[in-house]
Amino acid sequence: MSALSEEIRSKIVELCSRYPSKQAVTLPALHLVQEIYNCVSDQAVEEIAGLLELTPAQVHDTLSFYGFFRDAAHPLGKKRVWICRSISCSLRGGEDVLRDVCEQLHLQPGETTDDGSLTIEFAECLGACDGAPCMLVNDELQERISVNDVLALRGSHD
Amino acid sequence: MGTVFVDDKEVEVGPNQNLIQAAQLAGVEIPHYCWHPDLSVVASCRMCLVEVGERKPDGTESMIPKLVPACQTPAKPGTIVKTDTPKVKASQAQTLEFLLLNHPLDCSICDQAGECYLQDYTYKFGKASSRLDEPKVQRKDKYHIGDQIALFTDRCVMCTRCVRFTREISGTAELQVVSRGSVEEIDVFPDQPCNNKLAGNVVDLCPVGALCSKDFLYKKRVWWLKSQDSVCTGCSTGCSIEVDQNENRIYRLRPRPNPLAQGSFMCDEGRFGWKYVHSEDRLNSPRIGRASAIATSVAALSAVTGSSSGLGQDAMIGYNDLAYVDPWPDALSATRTMFRTAAASGRLMGIFSPMMTCEEAYLLARFLRGIDKQAVLALGPVPLIGEDDLYPKDHRGNPPERSKARFIIRNEKCPNRLGVTEVLRGFGSRLLDFSSVPELIANESISAAFVVGGYVGGWPDSVFVERLPEKLKLAVLDLLPSALTDRADVLLAGGSFAEREGTVINHAGLAQSLRTAMRPIGESRPDGRILYELNDRKGLFHARSVREEWSRELPRLAALADKPIPDQGLKLPLGEAMTGAVS
Amino acid sequence: MTETYQPVLLKRVGKPNSQSLAGYQADGGYQGLRKALAMSPTEVIDIVANSDLRGRGGAGFHCGSKWRFLPKNVQGPIYLCINGDESEPGTFNNRVLIEEDPHQVLEGIVIASYATGASTAYFYLRYEYGRCYRALDAAIQEMYAHNLLGKNILGSNFSLDIYLHRGAGAYICGEETGLIESLEGKRAWPRIKPPFPAVEGAFRRPTVVNNVETLACVTHILDRGVEWFKSMGVPKDPNNPRDVGSYGPKLYCVSGHVNKPGLFELPLGITARELIDGYAGGVWKGRKAKAVVPGGISMGFLSADELDTPLDFAGPGRAGCLGLGTAAVVVIDDQTCMVDVLYNLCRFFAHESCGQCTPCREGTAWSMKILQRIREGRGKLSDLETLEQISSSIGIIPGTTICGLADGAAWPIKNALKKFRPEFESYIREGRKTSMREVVGAH
Repeated sequence: MSALSEEIRSKIVELCSRYPSKQAVTLPALHLVQEIYNCVSDQAVEEIAGLLELTPAQVHDTLSFYGFFRDAAHPLGKKRVWICRSISCSLRGGEDVLRDVCEQLHLQPGETTDDGSLTIEFAECLGACDGAPCMLVNDELQERISVNDVLALRGSHD
Repeated sequence: MGTVFVDDKEVEVGPNQNLIQAAQLAGVEIPHYCWHPDLSVVASCRMCLVEVGERKPDGTESMIPKLVPACQTPAKPGTIVKTDTPKVKASQAQTLEFLLLNHPLDCSICDQAGECYLQDYTYKFGKASSRLDEPKVQRKDKYHIGDQIALFTDRCVMCTRCVRFTREISGTAELQVVSRGSVEEIDVFPDQPCNNKLAGNVVDLCPVGALCSKDFLYKKRVWWLKSQDSVCTGCSTGCSIEVDQNENRIYRLRPRPNPLAQGSFMCDEGRFGWKYVHSEDRLNSPRIGRASAIATSVAALSAVTGSSSGLGQDAMIGYNDLAYVDPWPDALSATRTMFRTAAASGRLMGIFSPMMTCEEAYLLARFLRGIDKQAVLALGPVPLIGEDDLYPKDHRGNPPERSKARFIIRNEKCPNRLGVTEVLRGFGSRLLDFSSVPELIANESISAAFVVGGYVGGWPDSVFVERLPEKLKLAVLDLLPSALTDRADVLLAGGSFAEREGTVINHAGLAQSLRTAMRPIGESRPDGRILYELNDRKGLFHARSVREEWSRELPRLAALADKPIPDQGLKLPLGEAMTGAVS
Repeated sequence: MTETYQPVLLKRVGKPNSQSLAGYQADGGYQGLRKALAMSPTEVIDIVANSDLRGRGGAGFHCGSKWRFLPKNVQGPIYLCINGDESEPGTFNNRVLIEEDPHQVLEGIVIASYATGASTAYFYLRYEYGRCYRALDAAIQEMYAHNLLGKNILGSNFSLDIYLHRGAGAYICGEETGLIESLEGKRAWPRIKPPFPAVEGAFRRPTVVNNVETLACVTHILDRGVEWFKSMGVPKDPNNPRDVGSYGPKLYCVSGHVNKPGLFELPLGITARELIDGYAGGVWKGRKAKAVVPGGISMGFLSADELDTPLDFAGPGRAGCLGLGTAAVVVIDDQTCMVDVLYNLCRFFAHESCGQCTPCREGTAWSMKILQRIREGRGKLSDLETLEQISSSIGIIPGTTICGLADGAAWPIKNALKKFRPEFESYIREGRKTSMREVVGAH
């Protein structure tokens, strides 16, 4: 069975027209896949490699550089929360938020709550230092956050 | 061409050379890990940093204030390279301290010890201690990298030579860098190990003990190995190699870089293809009489020689519990007698293996023609397996165009078809297709044939053996038992490539020297010696002195007679022009 | 002068409909492009070159010169890459520009592409900027619908496509050749130079890589003219023929221990003190600044008595910092432990080192570990020498690495140990001062 739907495959092929090399579609393809499946499985890597005329190792080399993509053993929770730990946020308590959130949820940065609702990550500078401490929920920014703001994300559904 | 000044030594450099190469020409070593002449330049290990400048035509010097990587800097005329300034030395020592931070220093159990560039450079350019006060990072060993390759992850210096090799030379791209920064590692994709036919090269490329050959792992400390320059006989590419042996056992073959032959690499078929040298099946002494007739040995002996004179009671020649008897004088004498006798009743024939050296072929031709001036000389089976295997492959495994190939494993699985053919041509022989040989034996009333094998899997053509006339007298010189050796009336146990010396000529007409790397096995003998003595020559067989005498018969190989063959071989004007069948 | 400065780049920030094409055009948008299309590409390059616009992404390279490095009479495509990988800690000017006024940036992209002959522009945007992505995506669609992109833009012979390309969380993609490698689908290991991107860049073709704010400046230079741009900033040093001055407006990010963190558009050359006290509401809680990062953490630190340093391209360098960088000012108050601050910075660089060059890969991780050990109370005074030596032996300035990341990692260490050494020494001898707030948690 194919790991990627026909729709995703055709989107990937379509993206190839934007670049002079198929390899350039690696990141866009990985994003497409992770957005749908919450991870990029080994089989998905192989299929992306096939579409982009690469070996799986070449795709995985790129994938692993960024630390953004999850393998099938570590899928993302419903929401991925990136809490900034860089200097501007740390000076205003960002690192404390990260530590307290991890303590209260009994996990380490990178891990997902047992109910699968939240994956907590540390982030390096999110580019919102005027709103420190800040976090990203998936790719939406929230500024001047507290521990409770993060914990509240567990219950909210959208 | 232009002049480059390396630590005040002047050297003339060619085009497209970098400062590492220019320094090599000046006899100066610039340490480096990531740079390799056959791979793309990444300049990432930063071990080769030097100070550079320019000597202007008016004699003034201007130096660049910062360090530059020698690998990335072209050796332009007028370039000044300084490799031993305090700044360069400090940088080298610092880079080594960085590389050794998390290096396990497990040299005592590391296969690479003794040929490790971390060891060597630390000794030459490093400092004796590290300031690291933190625990070293430990990483898991990876035995899954390939069937033949293990990765000792925490010894790796991330030079990425191995990754570039699989992307640029083999094209198979199995290896990858995983993650980034100080936690990055080399790996393969799950369940897709690095097993391409050139994979073993990544072990040679690894400048440290990270990638190790499973075949060689923990077998021998490298300082006990003796290396002999030689040639791989696995195919007609004729890779220059080094044969590493200790106490008469081969432990590994390694490519010997040779731009005239194959470049820097060799294939795994050749690399690991030496095991037959130590096969228990090896013929390890000569035999007189067919295998089936050995039981009635005396009768068999009479049948061969036409008389029973001159030979002992026991045709089984070999070690004797009581006293050593050299089996060879009798075997050689029996061979000579057999051919001289047979010449009276018909033609003699020689079937020359493309596994032979030119010297061996020459000596055999001389022997047969010395008895029968019209002896038929034919080339034996030329093993062809599939197609030439060209690299780098594309992502689907398709080969490149031949002009773009960076490595070719040839389908002609023998080292010297060209050379043997040239010798036969020199003796005025018609070159026949081997398939026509059985008819020829019948038509030309061949009374005795001398067949040389030496094929890695033993004589390849059992049908040929079945078709041999019962009355044909047969001498066979071979390595491994087969229907042919069973049929031989005299069987001469020869030597493998590692035990022989002589010249082989590759697909492109490059003549290179096989050199003796080890003593013969048991009572076997190098083919050259056997054939030399068969010709009743005095003294010892030396390939060089055989070549010296052949310029009259073999004008096209005369260049080999004039002077010693250089380490990189000698290109002869033969090449592909000789590949066509000549008759 | 700064008191009366009226923002140009940020003029439309916070306005209703600031993101829409209609709103942008109502405010006079795309006039710069119209002017540019009426000229030859060479004339546009000349204008940008004459403005002495310098890159806003950190290195401050002369933009016109960068464009002029492209080979002449190129056969085949030229690419423009937009560096929207803004990741330097403390920096958020590009995010605000894109989120609030995407057309201003996109107009600059079309002008730059026209000037350089680029037929395709790849907008490399860090993944974390989701709002920017959506704003740009919508704006680009509007542009195609209004003949501002695609074939024969505004009836001219010039055609251009812009593609958004999202990153995946790697600081090094802000280095222009790291960006190109990442765009090509590889790990973002910066390339060795030469060849420079102008000769062999994206997809081995001539390429220009420009920062977002730089391109926004291009829009206004074309619209308002060179004289407007050069009417502000710090002129060239007449005694230094290589100085190209610091002209034009600059977006200053101010964060950390100030009362009003924010983004302020001001002429280049305002001092750190004016910026902090005059615009960012001063140091919070009535405290004093102990240290100020002048332009993103790679630049190092100003000490409290260096706050009158002008924040132009040359100013921070005179105070021993690496440079102006991204002009992102991070204020650190006098109750903060510098060991913690430096640890935080070193941890960032260890995490973001791409791992290609030995000195950076190993040096950043090692310096982080040493500082961690010091923080745990197991430091030695000799550690400070080791740190200093690591910092002086990594980076493109000594020549030991391919790109500038390691210089950025080195400078905070150098500056901290030079300007705040007694604090490090007393920390090692006597341990953490209880009055010091802990900046950094246990992670």
